[in-house]
Amino acid sequence: MTLAPAHVDRWSGEDVSVARVEAELGELRAATGRGGAPDLRTSVLSHAAWVPPHWAEQAEAALAGLEERHPSRTILLFPQDPDGRHAIDAEVSLHCFPIPDQENRVCSEVVSLRLHGRKAEAPASILAPLLIPDLPAFLRWRGEPPWGEEPFPQLLGVVDRLIVDSTEWPALPDSYARFAEVFDDVAVSDIAWARTSRWRRQLSSLWPGIAEVRHVHVRATPAQAHLVAGWLRSRLERPEIELSITPADRFEGIDVDGEPAPFPPGDPPAPSDLLSDELDQFGRDPIYEAAVRGSLP
Amino acid sequence: MTAQTQENPLLEGLNVGRVPEPCAIVIFGASGDLTRRKLFPALYSLAYRRLLPDEVGIVGVARTEQSTEEFVDAMKEAVKEFARDPFRDDVWDLLAAGIRYVGTDFANDPGMDEVMDVLSELDEGHGTRGNRLFYLAVPPVAFEEIVCELGERRQRAATGWVRVIVEKPFGRDLGSAQELDELLHRYFAESEIFRIDHYLGKETVQNLLALRFANGIFEPIWNRQFIDHVEITVAETMGIEGRASFYERAGAIRDIFQNHLLQLLAVTAMEPPVDFDAESVRNEKVKVLRALHTPGPKSVVRGQYGRGFVEGEEVPAYREEPGVAPDSMTETFVGAKLYVDNWRWADTPFYVRAGKRLARRETTVAIQFHPAPHPPFAELAGAGMQPNRLIVHVQPNEGVSLEIGAKVPGQGMQIRTVHMDFLYGGAFRQGLPEAYERLILDALLGDATLFTRTDEVEEQWKLVDAVVAAWQRDRPSFPNYQAGTWGPKAAEDLMRRDGREWRRR
Repeated sequence: MTLAPAHVDRWSGEDVSVARVEAELGELRAATGRGGAPDLRTSVLSHAAWVPPHWAEQAEAALAGLEERHPSRTILLFPQDPDGRHAIDAEVSLHCFPIPDQENRVCSEVVSLRLHGRKAEAPASILAPLLIPDLPAFLRWRGEPPWGEEPFPQLLGVVDRLIVDSTEWPALPDSYARFAEVFDDVAVSDIAWARTSRWRRQLSSLWPGIAEVRHVHVRATPAQAHLVAGWLRSRLERPEIELSITPADRFEGIDVDGEPAPFPPGDPPAPSDLLSDELDQFGRDPIYEAAVRGSLP
Repeated sequence: MTAQTQENPLLEGLNVGRVPEPCAIVIFGASGDLTRRKLFPALYSLAYRRLLPDEVGIVGVARTEQSTEEFVDAMKEAVKEFARDPFRDDVWDLLAAGIRYVGTDFANDPGMDEVMDVLSELDEGHGTRGNRLFYLAVPPVAFEEIVCELGERRQRAATGWVRVIVEKPFGRDLGSAQELDELLHRYFAESEIFRIDHYLGKETVQNLLALRFANGIFEPIWNRQFIDHVEITVAETMGIEGRASFYERAGAIRDIFQNHLLQLLAVTAMEPPVDFDAESVRNEKVKVLRALHTPGPKSVVRGQYGRGFVEGEEVPAYREEPGVAPDSMTETFVGAKLYVDNWRWADTPFYVRAGKRLARRETTVAIQFHPAPHPPFAELAGAGMQPNRLIVHVQPNEGVSLEIGAKVPGQGMQIRTVHMDFLYGGAFRQGLPEAYERLILDALLGDATLFTRTDEVEEQWKLVDAVVAAWQRDRPSFPNYQAGTWGPKAAEDLMRRDGREWRRR
């Protein structure tokens, strides 16, 4: 169920402080509740995203539908020209959605910060004061993270869970080796993995016939293919399972020892549904972590 | 260990919902409103979420003569109208492939043979493996015939598992409930009998358990030391909606008080179970029901609505409703002060009320705590100082509110009560499952946690029988409350005598 926001209030400012952003958020919340039933700030999480310019459009598309399902504070960090002026430009908006049979509405907060010049060098210090205290904080990273390079490690230090989409990574499965190094530092989610769930369910229904599988041929994105193969290797304790891939934009099929597996029923979930589902996960996912390790040569 | 005997390692972490074994669901009373408004929409929603097995058959059985095709069409329309999920042809087509209809009067031997033939056909053609869930959505008068027919045939052809869901009312007093129980137990084990009280399937009732037992802050104060009293309200704005023949015999005490209201009380007052197993939960509930002190006549109020206005519409008196006797003495309101005689709740009153044509539709459990013992600014704060109240909104506006005193901004120390609200619709932006979805799925899985056990039903009837026995001795002046109000004045007096008032907000 996705409803258009009943009401959006905005404020924007150039060269502003984080304190000003917080104050303006408070002002928007107070204003929207005046004169009627107070709107609810029932946040369940903080959701941050590091969005290099070429990912901006996709990030905003994924956000649509998400804020309505997860009342939250979303903080979008857009790094700008590193050599430009040293400033934060902010846009703050309050998106309020109707609650069925209720006078009041539930509101999500979206904070978009453009970090100019050296402000982009220490984003954790900007993000930390804006996270809602005592609620889980998620970091969505678009593209492949710069392993070991700032600002990636500092941002990991202030959040509880990292969400990536390894479909966006160019060098698989090698990048999974670097990814596995962060597993002990932060819980992770991979949207590429979530996209395989209906196929994994389908493959699980082939048990026990699949127990001795030797080779799988996957028609899917490389990320999906490597993860499914890694999953089978780890779950079946058969590291010798061979993988061949026919690259495709989405998961189109899998042959198990030459036999095509039946197509799973239903439609694949929408991108915002996938991200939304990941925001419902809080702990580490040992099955995924084992699949990542199992995908490595 | 060979793969054949090993547990499937691929399932771990897949978050696969609990899917029951292949089975056939037989609904007796399939042409009734419950089937159309609740059961089929619930079955569709389960199918929509892939929580039904692929090999599921649904057999509708009713007196109405119609073909399977006509029944399927009618149920399709019902699903479109009442299901909470969007209608999808692919989901419906899969479900509809296993639907059959048998038109029979229940007492009729050949009719039941036809039901059994259809079940055999589903076993063979649809893979339902002899597993049966019989849903008795029929008036009590039809129970005996159906149970006997099913039981005798079951003994002849035992194959898979068999479970029976019994809709309320489960008897009309302790004696009839015991007779019905004896009949059911003649053919079915207690673990095969699922007495449905759909209130227990509501998310908000289960949330009451979560609120109490998943939060460390509430349970330590959930007792007589901190709680002044508990109010439980099951208020409806509706009248009897054409159910005069049932309601005239039942009244509010059998329709709502005996089941929903006492179950809400039991869930509110029960001790923490050791686990969420069916027996553990029901053991704790039945202890509360056993500890209920039989209320004296002054502690029970009954009422019947007269004409009035509900939501701006003029509505007739109960005695003017079609099918109701013009001198009917059936109560449409019941209120009571109950005590749970145990260590936790001694001397803590539970004020309960249920009624039709009341001012607002609401089901709530309100916990009122003792007032602050010595607020230093009591004189300055004035009337704004109210005791804290925790309100569980079962329906509508599902959620929990905590009423606290807050300082009014400005000079001085004026206090006003404000609400801290948790609204399901606000925090969880997804539709709540219908109670029947949860309960049908649980029955298919054999999980009886949210169904009432025979001893619970008996304890509930013992209390009701004692109340009704006292009613035989007087004849109140009915009607005694106007439709669209909060019930008879005597209900107000019930609390006022104790220096308290019903909450109305």
